[in-house]
Amino acid sequence: MTVLALATFPHESAYLRGRHEMVTHEYRLVGEWLPYGSEALGPGPGAHGIRAAAIVSGVLGAVGLFALTVWSMAFAYPFNSGGRPLFSWPAYIPAAVEFGAFTAAVGGLIWFFREGRLTRLHDAAFEFAEVARASQDRFVLAVACDGGEDANTVLAILANAGADHTRLVTP
Amino acid sequence: MKPHARQGGQRWILPSIQTLGDVTETVAAPLMDVRAKRRWWLAFIAALVLTAVGAVAIGFSLAYGPGLWGNNTAVVWGFPIANYVWWIGIGNAGTLISSLLLLTRQKWRASINRFAEGMTLIAVSIAGIFPILHLGRPMYFYWLAPYPNTMQLWPQWRSALVWDFWAILSYLLFSAIFFYVGLVPDLATLRDRPGRRGWRRLYGVAAMGWQGTPEQWRAQERLHRTLAAIAVPLVCSVHSIVGLDFAASLMPGWTESIFPPYFVVGALFSGFAMVVLIALTIRRTMGLEGMIVPDHFDAMARIILAASIVMGASYAAEWFSAWWGGEAADRRVVVFELTGAYWPFYWAMLLGNVAAPQLFWIRRLRTSPAALIGVSIAVLVGMWLERILIIANTLSRGYVPSFWRLYAPTLVDFLILAGTVGAFLLLFLIFARLLPVVSMHEVRKLLKERAQ
Repeated sequence: MTVLALATFPHESAYLRGRHEMVTHEYRLVGEWLPYGSEALGPGPGAHGIRAAAIVSGVLGAVGLFALTVWSMAFAYPFNSGGRPLFSWPAYIPAAVEFGAFTAAVGGLIWFFREGRLTRLHDAAFEFAEVARASQDRFVLAVACDGGEDANTVLAILANAGADHTRLVTP
Repeated sequence: MKPHARQGGQRWILPSIQTLGDVTETVAAPLMDVRAKRRWWLAFIAALVLTAVGAVAIGFSLAYGPGLWGNNTAVVWGFPIANYVWWIGIGNAGTLISSLLLLTRQKWRASINRFAEGMTLIAVSIAGIFPILHLGRPMYFYWLAPYPNTMQLWPQWRSALVWDFWAILSYLLFSAIFFYVGLVPDLATLRDRPGRRGWRRLYGVAAMGWQGTPEQWRAQERLHRTLAAIAVPLVCSVHSIVGLDFAASLMPGWTESIFPPYFVVGALFSGFAMVVLIALTIRRTMGLEGMIVPDHFDAMARIILAASIVMGASYAAEWFSAWWGGEAADRRVVVFELTGAYWPFYWAMLLGNVAAPQLFWIRRLRTSPAALIGVSIAVLVGMWLERILIIANTLSRGYVPSFWRLYAPTLVDFLILAGTVGAFLLLFLIFARLLPVVSMHEVRKLLKERAQ
């Protein structure tokens, strides 16, 4: 039967050591929770597409507002008395640029929610008290392992790596 | 306060903060879970009274019109626009400071960015009130927005007023997103800490289910940096547009290409002065001495000093341009600035904006609370005087001598200004009770570097 070994670490170095040991021993990491963004984790899933989303939505917002400006002044202006107002494009740029920056932020935020799998207020991970510590002062690791002897080995490795608390959870 | 000789992460956090838990407790403990202290309530009541006075003055202004203000047929802008430019300047600084320091990887940003960004949101919201009041018919302010209507009326896109509308609105909403992205992990901390159930639920909803997984941290940091990269040009453009309100006109003393950069530096200058005052206050009252350290003040004082030199150079460039350009009206405005009816205020402005910050050449004064408070107040007053004098000097001495009139503010003008100062204080006090004024997750990272 597969069980879950949960461990909390007081320091990043201990957490990285424990993580390294688990990967070396070919255990499956089920979850990791950190109190701050560690650069030691390196690149990985999570950040893909955020810049692109911000750029695309920013350009769309800026071009969209610029188009609205041109349309409302040069084409849809209600009075046509000897011609409509001139296509004064330099004066249309400031509002378009400002609005583009805002829509870029909105696009980036939406993509951030998507990549970070946010807006899910309830998640199975919140059932574990250890996960709540991750937002305060602990690094938390969840490792899948077989019950019995194997689970005890995992707990011992994690404790040796510097975990200050370990326990087994039966899913 | 004495600066520390240690380097790197050690420099920006004191030994009194030892563990990750210390960071969480120090920042989160004074929030809603404990009763507010007596001095918080006293400040709150004072701010509330001041805000109420301002609200009454605004109410009278709305009921009886701008005739209650000192604005006249020549000096048509007066206090409302000066207050607007001053507040938007302070408001620009928070996001600029935060994003610039993030992009340049300045570690000392961790302890000051959160309240600087909070300051931005509050100051920009206050700034946005003034152009609406100044419209004369504020009930129609929504005409500035393009929306389908039976009158087939569109905004005048070539007007600097419409640029302001888009600049302020976009900047305010952008800053709110920037602020929120940095805040999400700390909202999760407040959700997970022991405390009152109702507040924890609210924080939990705002945290959007943040867990702190590596994927979330990567996403958060990538977005934060991306927004910072957008924020720097955005902030510069917003205050440039404010500068263009003046520079795009045809008045002596205003038609200068130096205005946009000069306004941006002025915003940074007054913003840092406000950040210094807030930092001094909250480190003492909220027990943040371990995180907001003397070296922070040393760094901010150096920036204020550098900005004051740029401001001095900008004033000199104005005088030089008027003299070298040879335009009689421009020269007349400069002479009027230095010797005219408002000369005491102009010289007081130079004292506050250029002379007073020179004290920061002395190392000891850069960390002296008295000197920091004195210079910061001098800068804030100096910058407000600069804003009102840009308006009053030029409009009092335009091209047509028969149109020369002096400007004298009324009691209502002063009450509205006092009311906005009260509103700023009131909103900041509420902010400091509801949300962490220091970014906990960033300080935790700093702590790790110290451990290394």
